[in-house]
Amino acid sequence: MSFSTTWRRLPRTLRIVLTRLPMVVPQMLGVIFVTFMLVRLLPGDPALLMLGNMATPESIANLREQLGLDGSLWQQFVHYLGGVLQGDLGVSLFTSNPVAVDLMERAPATLELIFYAMILTILIAVAIAVLAVVRPGGVADYVSRFYGMAAGAIPDFWVGLLLIFFLFSTLGIAAAPFGRIDPMIAAPPTVTGFYTFDAVIAGDFAALKSAAGRLLLPVLTLTIVNAGALMKMTKTTFAEIWKSDFIRHQRASGLSQGRIVRNALRNSLPPIITLVGFLVGFLLGAAVLVETIFSWGGLGQYAVQAVTYSDYPALQGFVLVAAVFILVVYLIVDILYELADPRIQV
Amino acid sequence: MSQIRNFITFVLSRPGAAFGLALLLLQVVAIVFAPLLATHAPTEADPLASLQPPSGTHWLGTDVSGMDIYSRIIYATRVNLLISIVAVAVAFVIGVPVGLVVGYYRGWASTFVMRVFDFIQSFPVFVLGMALVSVMGQEIWNVAIVLAVLFVPIFARLIRAEALSLRDRPFIAAARCSGATDGQIMFRHILPNALTPAIVQISISIGMAILLTAGLSFIGAGVRMPLPEWGLMVSVGSQQMILGVWWVALFPGLAIVFSVLSFALMADALRDYVDPRRERA
Amino acid sequence: MEVQDRKPLLETRDLSVAFGDKTVLHGVSLQLRPDEVLGIVGETGAGKSVLARALIDLLPGKGRISGGNVQIGGRELRQMSASELRQLRGGGVALIGTDAKSLLDPVRPVGEQVADVLRAHKGLSGAAAHDAAVSLFAKVGIVDPEKRAQAYPHQLSGGMAQRVIIAMALIAEPRVILADDATLGLDATIQVQVLDLLVARCREAGMGAIIITHDLGIVARYCDRVAIMREGRIVEEGATAGFLHHPATAYGTELLASARARPAPMVRSGRGQQPAKAASLLEVVNLVKHFPTPSGHVVKAVDDVSFAVPRGETLALVGESGSGKTTVGQCLVRLLGSDSGKVQFDGRDILTLPDRDFRPLRRNIQMVFQEPYVALNPRWTVARLIAEPLALDPTMTSPTARKARVLEMLDLVRLPARLAEAYPHALTAGEQKRVGMARALATRPDFVVFDEPTTALDIRVRAQIIDLVRELQREMHLATLFITHDLNSVRSLAHNVAVMRHGKIVEIGETERIFANPQHDYTRMLLGAELPIERYAA
Repeated sequence: MSFSTTWRRLPRTLRIVLTRLPMVVPQMLGVIFVTFMLVRLLPGDPALLMLGNMATPESIANLREQLGLDGSLWQQFVHYLGGVLQGDLGVSLFTSNPVAVDLMERAPATLELIFYAMILTILIAVAIAVLAVVRPGGVADYVSRFYGMAAGAIPDFWVGLLLIFFLFSTLGIAAAPFGRIDPMIAAPPTVTGFYTFDAVIAGDFAALKSAAGRLLLPVLTLTIVNAGALMKMTKTTFAEIWKSDFIRHQRASGLSQGRIVRNALRNSLPPIITLVGFLVGFLLGAAVLVETIFSWGGLGQYAVQAVTYSDYPALQGFVLVAAVFILVVYLIVDILYELADPRIQV
Repeated sequence: MSQIRNFITFVLSRPGAAFGLALLLLQVVAIVFAPLLATHAPTEADPLASLQPPSGTHWLGTDVSGMDIYSRIIYATRVNLLISIVAVAVAFVIGVPVGLVVGYYRGWASTFVMRVFDFIQSFPVFVLGMALVSVMGQEIWNVAIVLAVLFVPIFARLIRAEALSLRDRPFIAAARCSGATDGQIMFRHILPNALTPAIVQISISIGMAILLTAGLSFIGAGVRMPLPEWGLMVSVGSQQMILGVWWVALFPGLAIVFSVLSFALMADALRDYVDPRRERA
Repeated sequence: MEVQDRKPLLETRDLSVAFGDKTVLHGVSLQLRPDEVLGIVGETGAGKSVLARALIDLLPGKGRISGGNVQIGGRELRQMSASELRQLRGGGVALIGTDAKSLLDPVRPVGEQVADVLRAHKGLSGAAAHDAAVSLFAKVGIVDPEKRAQAYPHQLSGGMAQRVIIAMALIAEPRVILADDATLGLDATIQVQVLDLLVARCREAGMGAIIITHDLGIVARYCDRVAIMREGRIVEEGATAGFLHHPATAYGTELLASARARPAPMVRSGRGQQPAKAASLLEVVNLVKHFPTPSGHVVKAVDDVSFAVPRGETLALVGESGSGKTTVGQCLVRLLGSDSGKVQFDGRDILTLPDRDFRPLRRNIQMVFQEPYVALNPRWTVARLIAEPLALDPTMTSPTARKARVLEMLDLVRLPARLAEAYPHALTAGEQKRVGMARALATRPDFVVFDEPTTALDIRVRAQIIDLVRELQREMHLATLFITHDLNSVRSLAHNVAVMRHGKIVEIGETERIFANPQHDYTRMLLGAELPIERYAA
């Protein structure tokens, strides 16, 4: 039995996953290489730059060894690679903790933020987009035009500040922008790292209320800007499908409007999946800004801190983790895309 | 040149696009006539006048160092637009030919270049920008270079997609039959047809670049004080927001909004203008 | 005979349709009686499709009925509620359009799509609807219906997809079928099968059918009555037989005349089965071109093909889609590389020449492309397009000489000189075809390949193009290769014809002989699927 016949007998899902996986390894290596090279872009001796002119030769030598700056470029890369694979991302110059530990502690905060923002963004964007296309001239249509235009021009950090000003300072409705939970309330015991989930698991209503309240403004900030972009792109995709020959034929064959909308959505799924993939990338970048404003204590704030204090190991570690995360997201997105579109040959 | 005149007429006939054009002209005026329009020097700090609300002397108030916000906004137009336009221009000039060649020739070299671009684009844009500027040093030119690097793949990819779809069209085969060489086909046949989306993208990218520059400066990975830059100004006002001091962050943010809006409106107008389905008078 | 039987299924009275303030249909009055097949014929812009959409109240964009009315089964369209209209579509009047694959939802199996239509009209369960769909598939001639029902549209051939669309139209048991150019783009043999099927099913169920087309041959064979449309009006209407023998209007007469084959070209070389090799300008010997597919299977597009074209004579290469005829043409002008074989042009083998040496020869070997609009660079003026090949001619270096040649060519193809500065999108399809020809002939080549010269053209434009080509053949003493599936045009244009199938030539010889006395079964089948108007008209 030849390879191609055996191949074809595997279920399509499996084939899709198997084709994609081998690509991941070189991409991961590439990411690691780029973050490795990042520090080498620094003009002059990185260790000297980091420690300043007053540093002793020993501390410089120590730092050089720590950063793996001795030896040839190749040796340095292997050294770095080895470290990464063992989970050693160096030690933060600012917190003095291993970077990996720092990142692990802060990751759930960012993930929780992105998670809720994504759900809200997708719901709002798709709903407005579909309504705008299916009912031209209606409310959703006008809203979508202005929203799409405006949202692309508004900086998310500015929106966050405005929301704080109006909803917290002026009206006093929203919770204070100082972190994930009221300092008076104990955080729920860690199961997932998401305060909301953990509070539900632990049955801690007070914690849930506080965490949810604190999530409101940052999630809203992320959503307001990104839902506009997603809505605009979804509207374009959906509108094209809505005008297509086969949708018109379904109408001519007497299918109900609801059915037709469902079919059109199903057809829009592959491009929407891709857009959601990009969305996660945007959200990660936006989270950096938003976490700073709301003192969120997540990866984003850590990264900004690293930039402010020239904490290069921390910055490196953050870029690496962010890139790997996005890589995994794109992988999942690609797989889902091929699953959703039967026309693609595997 | 009549094309430009036609375009302007087209823009003036649509309220949205006309508004965008007006905003654009406003920015040009702000750039050229900044010294005439500003009321104070942009970096003149006056600690005694710190955090004053909008008044007769300081039309939009002052920030924490006592610098006049209105004047800084005017001068910041130069900084923000300069960085963005240079970055996008460089990205266009590099990205378009690369995209053309990569889209026309198939083969391992093309695939390799696309992989490199895929790779650059797989890093979250903001994160990569932040890291690069931080490492290279917060000079205004570094910001522009980093943005250019981030935008090259966008233009290359766009032109490549156009080239790919055009290269198999019959009129290219016909040109080959008529004796055209590869180079002639790429630059005389494919490029004129592929440029349109790229030109629209220029406008979009300038808007994106302004937002990115502002964002980077906001977290301290972009331009440095005391250079007037909108994002930096918002960041200076961010701590005060909670205390009810709203003007320091509000006005620069509004400047960003209107600036990016103007480019987005222009991009839409361009897109509609070149749409072959438009009824031409 | 019951009175109900004679009541029209569908009727329009003085129907006018406008888009914005532009009226597209003017006072159209039509009737369709039970068990009747009505043909609607017209050229592009006649308003046939607009009429079809008005009948089910699905006018696109800003279209609206501006006058008159439409009655379906006695009920007026305008008085129907939204839900009644929905029931009407597919349940009362079913529409079949062009390009079946594009009418099907790409991400769902076809069986489900047909079942959906049934469920939208009759509240059946999923399983029952699915079974009904499968059994209908069998009735419309889909082999292995159970398996096919689970296929996706991209996995079906054109003819198969069209059968699925027909099943979709029939499944809710409508009273009227509207076929809007349903067989455009299909091979002639498939076209006949599909139309036979459609009309048979209609007659079986006592339905009425409206066949909208620009092919008079189809009308002649299948339609009881015919209506001729022009610029939004019905110009002529009556029984088909009557029209074919005595058209009532000048326009009708013109259409009929254009649909007939033009007279055959004069025979040049001596009699015999094969063109004389000694006088051959172009000789193809054992040409082979294979395409490997990703799945490992090899497609033998051109499988050992040999023929010759004498100077000044025309050979037609006919065949259906997939026969390899287009590939042969592309190999001859070296747009594709060939795998093996020889092509002797004026004694030299052009396949083995390096690119640099072949380029100058392009002066003498040119090609006119199939689709007129896409073969012209939309951003170049007509003059620049026609002048492009002149770069191959070392005597044509001065701009004045080039300009003169461009004007000469425009005159040759009967286009006005002012079109030289026009852009392609401003030209009609016929004009674009002519520009394509002008460009190919600009260097006065000895040999030209015409790829599908008459496809997708209106009745009268097609006749005009055929006449033009005949003139050019005569005036420029061209040796030509015609690649076409339009057998009717072959009669008028080619001295000799070669029939291709699956990459091989199955029969080759003089046109008259082959048409009168085909030897190969396949040739006979092809000829049988043609619907020459002469067979039906006086």
